[in-house]
Amino acid sequence: MAYKPPTRAGATVYVWSNYSLQERDRRWKAVRESGAKAGFDCIFVPLGDGIDARYLTQLRCSSVVLPTDGRPPIIIADRSSSNTWAPEPWQTSREWSEPMAEALLELGMERARIGVAGLKGGRVSHVTSIDGVVNHGAFAAVMRRLPNARFEEATDILGFARYIKSAEEIASMRKAVEIAEAGLAELAAAARSGVDAAALYARVMARMLELGAEYFPWALTLGMSDGSDAKRFTDPPLGRRLKANSLAQTEMIAVFGTQIAEEDQAVLLGPIPEAWKPVVARQREIFDEGVKLLTPGRSCAELLEFSKSVAEKGGMKAKVRLVGRGAGDDGPVIGAMTQPDALKELTVEKNTLWLWRPTVTGADGKTRFTWGGTVLVTEKDGELLSKRAHGAISVA
Amino acid sequence: MEAPADTTWKGFSLAERDRRWEAVRKQAAKRGFDCILVPLCVDGRNQHLSLEQARGMRSDCRYLTLLENGAVILPTDGRKPIIVSDVEQGNDWLPEFRRVKRSWGEAMAEALIEYGMERARIGVAGLSRGRVVHGRAYAGVVNHTSYAEVLRRLPNARFEDDDDAVAYARYVKSGEEIDCLRRGAAIAAAGIEEMGRVARPGVTDAHLYTSVMRRMLELGSGYYPLALYTGPLDAARLPRFEDPPEGRTLQPMYRIHNEVDALWGGMIAQEQQGFMLGPIPEAWQRVADLQRDLFYAGLERLKPGIVYHEFIDSVNSFGKSRGMNSLILMHGRGYGDDGPLLTPQDRGERVREVVMQEGNVYIWKPIAMSDDEKVQYSWGGCVVLTKTGAVQLVKRTPGMISIQ
Repeated sequence: MAYKPPTRAGATVYVWSNYSLQERDRRWKAVRESGAKAGFDCIFVPLGDGIDARYLTQLRCSSVVLPTDGRPPIIIADRSSSNTWAPEPWQTSREWSEPMAEALLELGMERARIGVAGLKGGRVSHVTSIDGVVNHGAFAAVMRRLPNARFEEATDILGFARYIKSAEEIASMRKAVEIAEAGLAELAAAARSGVDAAALYARVMARMLELGAEYFPWALTLGMSDGSDAKRFTDPPLGRRLKANSLAQTEMIAVFGTQIAEEDQAVLLGPIPEAWKPVVARQREIFDEGVKLLTPGRSCAELLEFSKSVAEKGGMKAKVRLVGRGAGDDGPVIGAMTQPDALKELTVEKNTLWLWRPTVTGADGKTRFTWGGTVLVTEKDGELLSKRAHGAISVA
Repeated sequence: MEAPADTTWKGFSLAERDRRWEAVRKQAAKRGFDCILVPLCVDGRNQHLSLEQARGMRSDCRYLTLLENGAVILPTDGRKPIIVSDVEQGNDWLPEFRRVKRSWGEAMAEALIEYGMERARIGVAGLSRGRVVHGRAYAGVVNHTSYAEVLRRLPNARFEDDDDAVAYARYVKSGEEIDCLRRGAAIAAAGIEEMGRVARPGVTDAHLYTSVMRRMLELGSGYYPLALYTGPLDAARLPRFEDPPEGRTLQPMYRIHNEVDALWGGMIAQEQQGFMLGPIPEAWQRVADLQRDLFYAGLERLKPGIVYHEFIDSVNSFGKSRGMNSLILMHGRGYGDDGPLLTPQDRGERVREVVMQEGNVYIWKPIAMSDDEKVQYSWGGCVVLTKTGAVQLVKRTPGMISIQ
């Protein structure tokens, strides 16, 4: 090994890393096989693509070179970190270009065809990062060190491995949903007229953290039941107290075992207005229909057609949002703005996870209702992992 | 402290926005740039070398726009900047901005061309490690694909590292920024008080962690993870946790160390306090006493106009005069990854000649060590450089707190 690790490193930071070695091997195998099928000599996860790197290593921060010929990967980590998946990674401190280049050279990739994860937004991962997530300075330095290698975009190699979940990942998602729903219960218990919105936000976040969630901001859209004065917050709101008829619309997000669950729930400080009832009923109708459509083999294009077919009925308008879930920035995204090309040849698969969240606006144009949760696609149908009852929660 | 619901703080003023833009323009013009480009940067979740570094990834954008993500093209000739972003809505500073459509590279290049920068000298922020910002990001913070596309579309422009043009504007804080950091420091101090109230043998680390985070959030801090270290007195290095630790419970004679950060107006304040769950052993007390004296001696020496090497050398030699050891630990405060960065890993070679200025804000937390370096202690808090010297943003007293 030509690479010499630094003599000093910062304090080791411990993160959740409880997936089994079988899970590690499953992931590595899936990525190797897809990489080989696409003709790559290795898959390279460079600095910047932290989500894919953690998927392959369970380390807080790492870079990976995974040869497709079956050899073990070289993993680069910082702060003296290691775990059962990567007991002896190459260590670095703040310098990543050199160890990444050396790892590629060590594995004989001078003239190889190298698949790079995270160079662009993928079809089912990094979906909102249209220009990818790779660090320019580090990646450009690596390319200069290997001028005869061919570096090519390979985000989907990792993406489609991540798309299908294992039993361990599904168990983590079930736990994440449970935590998010506990956060919602805390919100319903604490939301009262006069309460400081920052204190409410803090209490809910603390509840999820003490149940074992990793930090991820949950979103609180606070306004009035008639839709007025609404503003979305992803940190404690400043200058706001709850009052009669305040509406707290939440995107309650909890992370467990790197799986990110989102549960969407409206909490209203006061009785549910009559005008809401048909809107809630229509939303439920669409929600239930959608769950039934989440079956293995169904084309995503068909789901997009479904979203268009429910867009208007009886003066009520519906916008749906159906998004793949997993370790972060997952896809595909199916909604009003989705271009059909983005879903070409994409199908729903067994053991994929989805956030399913339709929003219905009443004929008055003001009443708006969203309810959503996490759906697992089983062998036969969609299983809603959320356990709470459908509908708005009314608190005194 | 006023409740967040009743806060009278309404956000940074438009005058503050204009001050920042003008400060960057001046720094850029001094370096001969026609404009500054703050390009799309990688998000902090994907490039997460440390809490500070992750928060620093898109900090130049936040500094100039208060938007969580965006690219900025700021000409030095006084024209308004063009902002490109993908966030859902604008803010008081920028009610309108250009939305990214197909690619960030295309949008940034179009903005540069619109401002006539085809053959310009363009200073690019965040391309590499800086002296007073991005000190932890050796490879910089810039997104590769979009930046490569900008270079491809403007083959005759000269793109250069901005030589800390944005960084030096950030380096000197305004009154509004210092007020935010003071508020953040007060919240962090309240988090430390909560830690002292909750930490007892038998309490889980997760409960301790959660209690402190809850206290700071309910005082209106944005979320910035507490860094928590706990373990036996004689452990050489304690593990660091940035989320609630699983399966750990505090025991008698455990040490607790921390970095307690709070955000107000996006500015990151930090306070630090060590605890001992039991009486403080004499060896530790001696080191804590040295650390206290070092902390105050540093406050005396920190003054506008001095260069860092004078300060670094005085701090690092302070312990020797008492038959012990000492090492500088200090860095700037602001929107994230602020410098200069002076740590056991980063000894300050690159900033030795940089000058301290009025309006600098630091987390000052020097390390005192026993002669054999087995006992090491750091305590700290935010300090601001005024005309006459350094002042703590929140008055706290150095030392280790014994909980019995």
